[in-house]
Amino acid sequence: MPAVADMRVISALIRRAMNEIARVPAAAIPGVLAPTIIIAGLASVFSKAAELPGYEAPNFLSYIIAVGFLQGAGFTGAATGVNLARDIEQGWFDRLLLAPVPRLVILAGIVGSAALRALLPASFLLLVGEIFGAAWPGFAEILVMVPIVCGYAAIAACWGAIIALRFKTQQAAPLMQIGMFAATLLTTAYAPFVLLTPWLEEIARLNPVTYILEGVRQGFVGDVTWATTWPAFVALFGLLAIFGGLALRSMRRTGLS
Amino acid sequence: MSAIDVRGLEREFKGSIKAVDGIDLNIAEGEVYGFLGPNGAGKTTTVRMLVTLLRPTGGTALVAGYNVATEPAKVRRRIGVALQDAALDLLMTGRELIELQATLHAIPRASVRARGQDLIERVGLSKAQDRRVGTYSGGMRRRLDLAMALIHEPQVLFLDEPTTGLDPVSRMTLWDEVRRLKNDGTTVFLTTQYLEEADQLADRVGIISAGKIVAEGTPASLKAQVGDPRLDIGLLDDADAVPAEAVLARFGPLLEPLKPGRLLISVPDGAAEIAPIVRALDEAGIGVANLDLLEPTLDDVFVEKTGRHLEGAEGEQDA
Repeated sequence: MPAVADMRVISALIRRAMNEIARVPAAAIPGVLAPTIIIAGLASVFSKAAELPGYEAPNFLSYIIAVGFLQGAGFTGAATGVNLARDIEQGWFDRLLLAPVPRLVILAGIVGSAALRALLPASFLLLVGEIFGAAWPGFAEILVMVPIVCGYAAIAACWGAIIALRFKTQQAAPLMQIGMFAATLLTTAYAPFVLLTPWLEEIARLNPVTYILEGVRQGFVGDVTWATTWPAFVALFGLLAIFGGLALRSMRRTGLS
Repeated sequence: MSAIDVRGLEREFKGSIKAVDGIDLNIAEGEVYGFLGPNGAGKTTTVRMLVTLLRPTGGTALVAGYNVATEPAKVRRRIGVALQDAALDLLMTGRELIELQATLHAIPRASVRARGQDLIERVGLSKAQDRRVGTYSGGMRRRLDLAMALIHEPQVLFLDEPTTGLDPVSRMTLWDEVRRLKNDGTTVFLTTQYLEEADQLADRVGIISAGKIVAEGTPASLKAQVGDPRLDIGLLDDADAVPAEAVLARFGPLLEPLKPGRLLISVPDGAAEIAPIVRALDEAGIGVANLDLLEPTLDDVFVEKTGRHLEGAEGEQDA
């Protein structure tokens, strides 16, 4: 049963990544704390911004907390790319390539671990956000938010994997992080469309991450609607297909050049 | 069927650098093949092509009957690989790593534990199996790496410099395991910089230099190609050098001495010639301080074929 064997490999690779968090918890702390600190700082400084027309949120923290979820997922994905670069440098990745399993299965294990690990910063941010006054989205809304956050971490992990496989060094880490940072920045992350400068509004409307962000945000600023949910998932699956395809291509080309 | 059949294998990197330049290899099933060469000769590039980690740019290579370029998955199912630097996750325990490796090779869940335990015992890591690999010594890591390479009972085992940097005891343990694998019928492709290792373990040896195979054969046949044993003689009194040369000339041609103040003579019959030479010197009243019988080594073969020494060869001889 090749499918069962492949699932066992994916599960084993995810367990290995989780093992790292369990045995070196300090390594996970920056990725968990950073989004929370950034969001807490911004919410404190710009708390009055929510009174501007267009925000339509109970408070500024409720508006920007979604950015923290995507940042946490982005950091997690980038960290997965850095770990892959480390595995390449130390030879562990050769061990994976020598296994008689499809490259897609190896990639799925690596990306799957990022998706699961993204739940850690997201849970922490949700807890801290609620303590400091973010609107409670409701359990059903969280069920919509969780796959979006996990999916975004998977996209970030694919991006990180592409960079890691291209440069084969941990020194490429800034490239992994800056990509996800820029993608989030050029959206409605900090202000609604109506308050963006025209050029940024244009980019934000074209940027699929905007729709992913709004998909996460909707439960904190109002009700979860199908009209906001389906574009989020379309953008998510589209980006996952593109970056997943490119990462798989990079993995298959390993050893050719 | 050959375990490894290589024809005109090439690997060219960017900048027209040919790391491997048209090598041919034919290695029988159950054979231990020693692949010797200095750093940068093309050993690791050859291994990486044979284990499907690097695509050849020319020639063909069949491993366990399958083409490494067109049927890599079939090759991977049949080979075990322990690369130069034991690639281990230092946060995992030995047992966890063995079980992960078993999963990567699709070994049924029911037999993973038993097979892993058997291998852990075989490489002497039973007591350390639940410790993190980060606490293992270099020798323990090598042995764990070997166990992982064997978890799926490969037909062909590639060992890339398995004992580099190991202490003598760990080296002997690995050598014993290679001998055991040979007895079990596993083909072993062993790259090494250590001449003694190739001499001790390999049925045949191939010497690679600058990407080309420059010599191939059994260790004995290769050494026989490079000349006779030599006797290196140190005299008690340096003033006896001239009469000693006259005595030694009766036994054969004098050679350029290896160190000043010593004499070197070719002795085709090896140890059998020592007693007559010592007697003749004694009868001439010449005292001998010490003497060494120098058998040809694989390093001599390397020097003969390439004009260079293998790295580490001199140190190995000294040891």
